[in-house]
Amino acid sequence: MSEFERTTGMRLTRRGFLAGTGAAALAAGLPMPALAKGQVIVGTWGGDYQALLTANFEKPILEKKGIEVIHDISGAPPRKTKLLAERVSRRGTMDVACLSDIDMFEMSKQNLFDNVDPTKVPNAKNIFKQLAKPYAIPHIYSGKVLVYNPNKMSPTSFADFLDPKYKGRIGFADGLYMQIIESAALVNGGSMSNYEPGKATLTELKKFEPKVFPSNETLAAALKSEEVWATVMWRARGFMWKKAGIPLATIAPKEGTTPIIFDAAVPKNAQNKDNGWAYLDAMLDPGGQVLFADRMGYVPTVNNAKLPDDLAKEIGFTEAEQEKFNIPNYEYIAANNAALLEWWNKSFKA
Amino acid sequence: MSVAFEEAAGGRRRSVAPALVGPATILVVLVLVLPMAILFRYSLNQFVPGQFMVEAVTIANYVRFFTDIYYINVLWTTVQVAIACTVISLVLAFPVAYFLARTTSRFKSILVILAVFPLMVGNVVRAAGWMVVLGNDGVVNAVLRWIGLVEEPVKLLYTPTAVIIGIIAVVLPYMILTLQSVLEGIDYSVEEAALNLGAKPSTTFFRIVLPLAMPGVVAGTVLVFILCMNAYATPVLLGGPQFKMMAPALYDQIARSTNWPFGAALAFVLMATTLTLTIVSTTVMQRRMRR
Amino acid sequence: MSQVSLRRLAKRFGSFTAVDDVDLDVREGELVALLGPSGCGKTTTLRMIAGFIAASGGRILIGDQDVTDLPPYRRNTGMVFQGYALFPHMTVNQNVAFGLEMRKVPRAEIGPRVAEALRLVQLDHLGERMPRQLSGGQQQRVALARALVIRPEVFLLDEPLSNLDAKLRLTVRVEIRQLQQALGLTTVFVTHDQEEALTLADRLVVMSQGKVQQIGTPTELYERPANHFVADFIGRSNFLAGTVSAPGRFRSRGGLDIAFADDGAGPRGEGVLAIRPEKASLEAGTDAGTGANRFPGTVVFVTYLGAATEVRVRLASGEEVTVTRHNATPLDDPRHAAGDLAPGNPVTVVWPPAAGLLLAPPPA
Repeated sequence: MSEFERTTGMRLTRRGFLAGTGAAALAAGLPMPALAKGQVIVGTWGGDYQALLTANFEKPILEKKGIEVIHDISGAPPRKTKLLAERVSRRGTMDVACLSDIDMFEMSKQNLFDNVDPTKVPNAKNIFKQLAKPYAIPHIYSGKVLVYNPNKMSPTSFADFLDPKYKGRIGFADGLYMQIIESAALVNGGSMSNYEPGKATLTELKKFEPKVFPSNETLAAALKSEEVWATVMWRARGFMWKKAGIPLATIAPKEGTTPIIFDAAVPKNAQNKDNGWAYLDAMLDPGGQVLFADRMGYVPTVNNAKLPDDLAKEIGFTEAEQEKFNIPNYEYIAANNAALLEWWNKSFKA
Repeated sequence: MSVAFEEAAGGRRRSVAPALVGPATILVVLVLVLPMAILFRYSLNQFVPGQFMVEAVTIANYVRFFTDIYYINVLWTTVQVAIACTVISLVLAFPVAYFLARTTSRFKSILVILAVFPLMVGNVVRAAGWMVVLGNDGVVNAVLRWIGLVEEPVKLLYTPTAVIIGIIAVVLPYMILTLQSVLEGIDYSVEEAALNLGAKPSTTFFRIVLPLAMPGVVAGTVLVFILCMNAYATPVLLGGPQFKMMAPALYDQIARSTNWPFGAALAFVLMATTLTLTIVSTTVMQRRMRR
Repeated sequence: MSQVSLRRLAKRFGSFTAVDDVDLDVREGELVALLGPSGCGKTTTLRMIAGFIAASGGRILIGDQDVTDLPPYRRNTGMVFQGYALFPHMTVNQNVAFGLEMRKVPRAEIGPRVAEALRLVQLDHLGERMPRQLSGGQQQRVALARALVIRPEVFLLDEPLSNLDAKLRLTVRVEIRQLQQALGLTTVFVTHDQEEALTLADRLVVMSQGKVQQIGTPTELYERPANHFVADFIGRSNFLAGTVSAPGRFRSRGGLDIAFADDGAGPRGEGVLAIRPEKASLEAGTDAGTGANRFPGTVVFVTYLGAATEVRVRLASGEEVTVTRHNATPLDDPRHAAGDLAPGNPVTVVWPPAAGLLLAPPPA
């Protein structure tokens, strides 16, 4: 009972109603409804992301509906591979797939997902129009910024990294190769449809011995030990690292910020589609989105979620910054990803 | 009488064998051969960026591999690392295996369990442990600085050496166990006979123990070499992004580039290389054994 | 060939003493058998001579050289192992040549010496075989040739016959003895089989619990065992416990008054009188008769052994003795034992005073 009160006390009335029915059932001396609505298998990242999904959406919303959530935890590449491998099968093993907007687009090109049905995902009507897409819901978003050690430097553009003063002090996460090439392209006459000029910038940058780390975590450790001073990263990550005590600041570079959206979709071959839609609807719950923002620094994707002002200032993007958003050209990325990764591995890292 | 009996027994065996072998064969085909065949078929497909995999029958993926010095180098690095790890683990494992095989200590079973213990922890966890040990702020550098041997941390992590150390730590238990089981089977009195006939311990080792342990050396070497050739987590975590071996390169193609045809071709090149080197070295070792 | 001397040789494993101050001199060309039940320390002693086990105390001398602290490969001993320990990956020739190679014998000399050694054990036609292709007896001979070809100062045999079947064992036994005598090999031979030891050895060393019980020729050991253990272990004996009542007189616990040849060396007071079964004889009936040591009794059990018949007799005193009669006469001869030897028959057991040997009682 106290669990109900605690959650309902701070959440929306709709859930208050749900909790009320549960309480009424108890009061009437009836057994709790079996609630055997089955399960939903969610392919997602582990760690904080999964913990927050559980705390903010699954426990307060889906558990009440009697839906048991099972997590299929991995990084994005294995999840993409799994979706592709299962595409010929009628029985998929995922009911919800979480991926970044770029990956989600690439997968949607293989016709893997059902379009979002607004009648099954009522909260979809609150999604910011510029984030919406037919095949997935945007769950949270952030933007690519410069993350740097304010005691050592104060860059305003990716171009500032090309400086002998910062020799060996620029660090990159291997997984963000696409975003780094894009950043490098934009300061060298490139565009969201042409990353090629980025290769020249990065070749130039190589003279200053930038370091590439195998994961975000190893990059964070290097920033913490001040082995490296700056990187390109999502503002949300920068926010989390700062909260973890790493001396960091973030800035939207002059050349503009590229938003990163973390999407969720229901595969065509999902076994529990209705529960999948229910899960997507829960992910758009404004209360949960605010808590996500507070913990992980990602900005809500629905217009009815209101962030406290100081938090919004820390993780959000100003009107001016939003105007300078560089919207990714997914077609271009999907067509060039393999070649760019090849160049990154063979030419830049070698 | 005995001939008749043997024939009867043989006859019975013949009639039972297919029933026993049948399901096993089907299982092997389903679990091993079929996926390989599918993967091989993929390797002949075409990769069109943005369209994933397009049905085709082309050797373009293999041509690409063998005409690109980058991938040749990745394969060469893989072979070098695998050979180094195999040889070093053989040299390190032999004395341990010999001790385990010969000891009459009542702690023997505990020692064997200790040798196997690392296998109970996943490769990733062990690699993470090595990261703590070898990092710039790691244990080794802390000790080196404390003794005053170095002032700046020595770069140990994200080097080929780190990968070799990490892989050896993974494969050593396999080598030890394989060698130990063979060494257990060598009658100790044979070594005593050699000593008695005037052979020094070193001569006894090279003329008697080593040739007799050759089946174990071959088995352990093959097993460990295959494990090394296919190492994934250790090179990724300890080699750093600049260091590429075949398995991580393959993963890059399949999972990050979504280029399944080329990834499948890499898999087949890796398998063919491993198989060829294994067969060649086994033949050479067995020929030397028969000498 | 050289003589081998053990001086207060000892081996202790923790608190357990496997070999307890053994003194022994093996003369040049002599075959000495170490004999005793398993765990008596005989094998440990042999392995210390070979150098496989380090001595805890005492010295080992081969010839006039103290080898106690030398590793096995610096001692010139030739050992034949219980399981032969042939090198399974080498041919017979290579096995035999191994010791010569280790001694840096010139290559030209190795071939003829290997051939000669194999001829000695009649295996010169099997030089190219692998050990696994040979029978047990052939493997045994290869092991002999391999140990002999290096012309060791001392020849060591560790239960070399125990893996052979009974028939083959007798043949090889003779062959080993002939070889040893022909070559004048100083030999130490470990066995638990007393018959093997008695037939092969010039002298025997009977061991028990790490200690030497007696060293002597087969005759000495059999006829004059030094103590109860040796008398019991070598051959068979009737043991009658009792006390020495007067010089030359022994009173058994059952009350028999027995005359024995008293040389004064035996113990006074409590003792055991040992009588070999074949040194006693049987007479039909229970006539008192005349002469020493005539004891009436009843046949309890008869065991026909072919060459002899063994008869178990319960004496009037309640004590039981075993008597062996040689079946020296034809079956139809009235003197043949068979007729009067049914269980329940009254008999008289007779033995001369010289047949009784007075020994100290065994330790409790």
